[in-house]
Amino acid sequence: MNKLRLLPLVALSCLVAAQAHAGWQDTLNNLMKSDSKEGKILSGATQVLSSSQEMTYQTECTVGESLALDSMQRFGKPVQNEALQKYVNLVGNAVARNSRRSTIPYRFVVLDSPVQNAFAAPGGIVFISRGLLDVLDNEAELAGVLAHEVGHVAEKHALKSIRRAQFLQGASAITAATMKGSKGQQFESMVGDLQNTLFDKGLDQGMEYEADQAALETTYRTGYDPGALVSVLQKLKKQEATAAKNGSWFSTHPPLDERIARLSAQLAKYPSAGSVKLPARFAKYVKPAKGGKASK
Amino acid sequence: MKKRVLGGALLLLTLCAGQTLGAEKRWVVSEGTTLKKEQSVSAPNLADLPVGAELTLVEGEGRWLKVQTADGKEGWVYAGRVSDTQPVAEVAGGDGLLGDSMQKSQINTAKADSARSVRGLSPETAAYAKQHGTPEALKKELDKVLARKVSNNEVNAFLKEGKIGEYAQ
Repeated sequence: MNKLRLLPLVALSCLVAAQAHAGWQDTLNNLMKSDSKEGKILSGATQVLSSSQEMTYQTECTVGESLALDSMQRFGKPVQNEALQKYVNLVGNAVARNSRRSTIPYRFVVLDSPVQNAFAAPGGIVFISRGLLDVLDNEAELAGVLAHEVGHVAEKHALKSIRRAQFLQGASAITAATMKGSKGQQFESMVGDLQNTLFDKGLDQGMEYEADQAALETTYRTGYDPGALVSVLQKLKKQEATAAKNGSWFSTHPPLDERIARLSAQLAKYPSAGSVKLPARFAKYVKPAKGGKASK
Repeated sequence: MKKRVLGGALLLLTLCAGQTLGAEKRWVVSEGTTLKKEQSVSAPNLADLPVGAELTLVEGEGRWLKVQTADGKEGWVYAGRVSDTQPVAEVAGGDGLLGDSMQKSQINTAKADSARSVRGLSPETAAYAKQHGTPEALKKELDKVLARKVSNNEVNAFLKEGKIGEYAQ
């Protein structure tokens, strides 16, 4: 009886599979024809794929360096305090080498700007403003902020955002020789779009949450208190009503309440997390900068 | 008879599954990772472990894990330097969608970095700056930023001073 019941089911499955197979064969045949609907879709997909694959690390650096020049024009030059810049680079590199993209060189820069913000240029140049540094109280908090930005670099979020806007077409083979022609204009347009994204509009919220998650993971791996990023956001939340919004973390990042809630929930995954915060070492390098009496 | 065959097959499956579950994998995610003879950063080094190296977990759940390398060396590694998922392969010539070897990419990025520090801004960035009329002072500032490098040894000394991670007591 059971066998009799099974037989029609098996027969039906065979028929469906055969039909599906026939459908697949048709689709495969059509894919080979460039003028078919399927062929055009494949051709478009291949172009998008190849344009993204062709961007070399060197080109990524060129995008990042160009953006770095523009960011210094907009937000201000690096703070002239070599001890502070070195310290921030040590904290940043400590977390970067435990990130998902640990094999590229990273640079960390404190910009002399009162606007509270941090952002990452493709290729690994990460900026934090003096205004945001002023909000922090210990090294773990600094590590959390820098790890968030390293997360963006690691996941190539900025590049992905312009790829979506199709600004990357033809920009993959940028050389000094081609910077003058139409490719140069395309490149400028791409950097302009990146400026708009990073300085004004912000990356999409999914990317920000992904970078937050990455920051928890890398600060924890390094040995800092992963909860420090939450405390930074809580401090910013207190200042939100009175802080300058234009070009700041407030205008370029998702709502603080949502980020705090998500991060707090994820913190439960790190029950044995250490409590290394190092407020004294942080103060030693950052306080002179806050007071304007930098030790050079 | 059939039950015996089925029983035997189940036993074999259970044994295979047990072996697979027992061989938990970890991957090195951090540059400068070393295999230690004991659970301490000051213990002698047994091997240098490159990023992406696959390790088999032998024992340990805390800050230090006992692992075996692909070539059979057994020792301890700091838990923060490994992950239970493979790190993203850095592909210097592309986007990582179609693989290139991680080793090659490290060589390429290292070359790119050293070339950058010797020549200052890349010719492409210099061309962008010229087109944009970027002030000379800003180009010099970016040059300084790019020249400011920290080595793995400096980072280790920094972590040690702060008693962070593997240097925690």
